[in-house]
Amino acid sequence: MSENLEQTFVQQLRENQNIIHKICRLYTSDGDAHKDLFQEITIQLWKAFPKFRGDAKFSTWAYRVALNTAITLYRKSTRSVSTVEYEKHSFFISQDEYNSEEEEQIKLMYQAVHQLNDIEKALVFMYLEDKDYTEIAETIGISEVNARVKMNRIKGKLKKILNP
Amino acid sequence: MEELDLLKKDWKKNENSFEQVSEVDIYKMLHKKSSSIVKWILIISILEVLLWTGISLVYNSDEYFIRTHSEYLIEYFKYLTIFNYAVVAVFIYMFYKNYRAISTITSTKQLMKDILKTRKTVKYYVWYNLGMMVVSMIIGFALVFTVDPKLHELTSKGNAMIFMIAFCTVCILVFVGLFWLFYRLIYGILLRKLFRNYNELKKIDL
Repeated sequence: MSENLEQTFVQQLRENQNIIHKICRLYTSDGDAHKDLFQEITIQLWKAFPKFRGDAKFSTWAYRVALNTAITLYRKSTRSVSTVEYEKHSFFISQDEYNSEEEEQIKLMYQAVHQLNDIEKALVFMYLEDKDYTEIAETIGISEVNARVKMNRIKGKLKKILNP
Repeated sequence: MEELDLLKKDWKKNENSFEQVSEVDIYKMLHKKSSSIVKWILIISILEVLLWTGISLVYNSDEYFIRTHSEYLIEYFKYLTIFNYAVVAVFIYMFYKNYRAISTITSTKQLMKDILKTRKTVKYYVWYNLGMMVVSMIIGFALVFTVDPKLHELTSKGNAMIFMIAFCTVCILVFVGLFWLFYRLIYGILLRKLFRNYNELKKIDL
């Protein structure tokens, strides 16, 4: 029975692992930290898996556990990334099909997002994932109106980082 | 914001660019140990309870009372010990209940609240023990001076009494101060990130 559960979990996780990778991309600054956080999220997902009910989508459920792990449970600080560290994390940006100006802009955007705090990153993450404000507010535990207000402030903050 | 949309485009495009982790590796991860702060809080809390319980077990005052011919105090201390165990039991139950309530499926804010609540139980336990320790130190010092004939003789000489009281007060203050510093340090390091993020969340809903 438990072996079966483990098998189901591992299979689901493998199929949905990009969710975790994306969170690691936002919250860590090098390959080792990426792997470390990935592992912690996997452990936390596995611990919470018996409470996962089949009526929700695995991915929706995983978003929540993974974000909570990155923001709250993960012990190592995930903030303050220097530009040098960032540059080393080369798999962030694919080199193909971009004109250099756009590419440069995207690179700067990633750097700017990395300067945000943990909570702001969570909002940006869900925005990039096309989550609506109801879900964003519910996941983080703030009101929907305030989630909207905060998102607008983050946009302003990003603009300021890009054009100081 | 145009840039953010540009980022979104790139984000979506690179969605599948991650080096994939195999099922075998996922299996391996499942059997690795977690290093989450919840686990650390649990470990430190158990150590704290063990430490304080250990101190009260090791410290045996009976012998001293017999030596100083004040056996009548043994009875009082017995009641105090029973009371102490009852308090420890309540604290352990509360801690366990709060610890079990921590769930990664709730919202981020609720999760933080639950962790802080669990942590608070242990904090109160530590304060209770520190309080008990100070009280028993004061009683202990007082007893020593009235019961112990050698010290009784010493304190009857005017100035010596004041000096002794001052000495005891400094002892107690230094002791409590050191403990307080130690706790600030441990939890300061452990919960710094949590507090920072929790305050950030509270600010949003102001």
